[in-house]
Amino acid sequence: MTHLTMDQLVALRDAVSEPGSAESQAHVAACAACAAELDRLHQRVARLRALPTLRPPRDRFAEVGARVRQDRRQRHIRRAGIGALALAASLLLLVIGRDVMAPPAANASGQLTAVMAESATLEQALRQIRESGQVTDAYTTRAATTLEDRIAELDRELESAQLRAASGTDAGLLPLWRERVGLMDALVDVHLTRASNVGL
Amino acid sequence: MTKALAVDSYLLGDAESVVARVRVGDPAALEILYRAYEAPVFNLARRICRTVEDAEDVLQETFFEVYRSIGQYRGDGPLWGWVRRVASSKALMRLRRNKYRETDELFDEVHAVRREDTPLRMDLEAALERLPATSRAVVWLHDVEGYTHEEIAGMMDRTPSFSKSQLSRAHAKLRIWLGEEVRS
Repeated sequence: MTHLTMDQLVALRDAVSEPGSAESQAHVAACAACAAELDRLHQRVARLRALPTLRPPRDRFAEVGARVRQDRRQRHIRRAGIGALALAASLLLLVIGRDVMAPPAANASGQLTAVMAESATLEQALRQIRESGQVTDAYTTRAATTLEDRIAELDRELESAQLRAASGTDAGLLPLWRERVGLMDALVDVHLTRASNVGL
Repeated sequence: MTKALAVDSYLLGDAESVVARVRVGDPAALEILYRAYEAPVFNLARRICRTVEDAEDVLQETFFEVYRSIGQYRGDGPLWGWVRRVASSKALMRLRRNKYRETDELFDEVHAVRREDTPLRMDLEAALERLPATSRAVVWLHDVEGYTHEEIAGMMDRTPSFSKSQLSRAHAKLRIWLGEEVRS
């Protein structure tokens, strides 16, 4: 008598009505060895289910919480960045309009455009890093948090400066945008350095 | 009551209100969720992944994903079922990322060589640990967590036949390693 294969026994345990399962059931009913084998399979699975629950050796909620806070800050920066860019774009139109009337200021507005474009490129780079879904270690989280806090603060300053500039006051926009680019650049570095360290 | 529903009511009394609070970004609610499910999530991850460190990373990634994707949980099934699905996907992703499949072959070869030295009876924990990563994942997901071959195939991006064959090969190995009687 040919005994059932493990494939057939496993299918029988699952009560899967596949072609041949009726024959397998008939075989088990008639063959004590295969009936015993099926019984052992049931017992093995029961023992697997009864294995003790393995618990994490240390608490990882601090890392989860830090990552969640970092994600929120990044979302805030993205929102603030988009708002700031929109406001800056309208301001730029105003500045360019004035440049036509006053050519010596053209150099300053060109620099502002370039710095803002650089900021947008860095935003894009950061977005790609975030989307890569890398696991964040404590060092990266701390360094990134410090930078993101400063960027958020700077975005608030930029918002006020842009409102002042819109009303015709010299608001010192260029140095603020330059500082933002510097901080964004550092933030990208922090993430990339961590990624290269762990080979991601 | 399904197993997932039973786990929900046992681990998290008021799942609905906790979920609602996580959705609006309440960090205390996320911690309640974490404390309720950290052990079963880690257990699942550890049974699938090769190392404790990998399982810990899966634990962290799972709860970050839960926070990010909680809006996708419609509440039409047990919360544990949804969290477990996220954890299973993350654990399988970790297996793929570490290219365990490539080392499985080597793992099998090493075991084949050592088979004569293997004690007649192995502990079930040790035998499970000894299975190649993919087979072990299928055994755990199917036999313990209760996923169907179709669901496992979907998560692994393979066919149901692949899942079935991994399961039967794994049981054939376990039977030998556990020193169970072989049919005459």
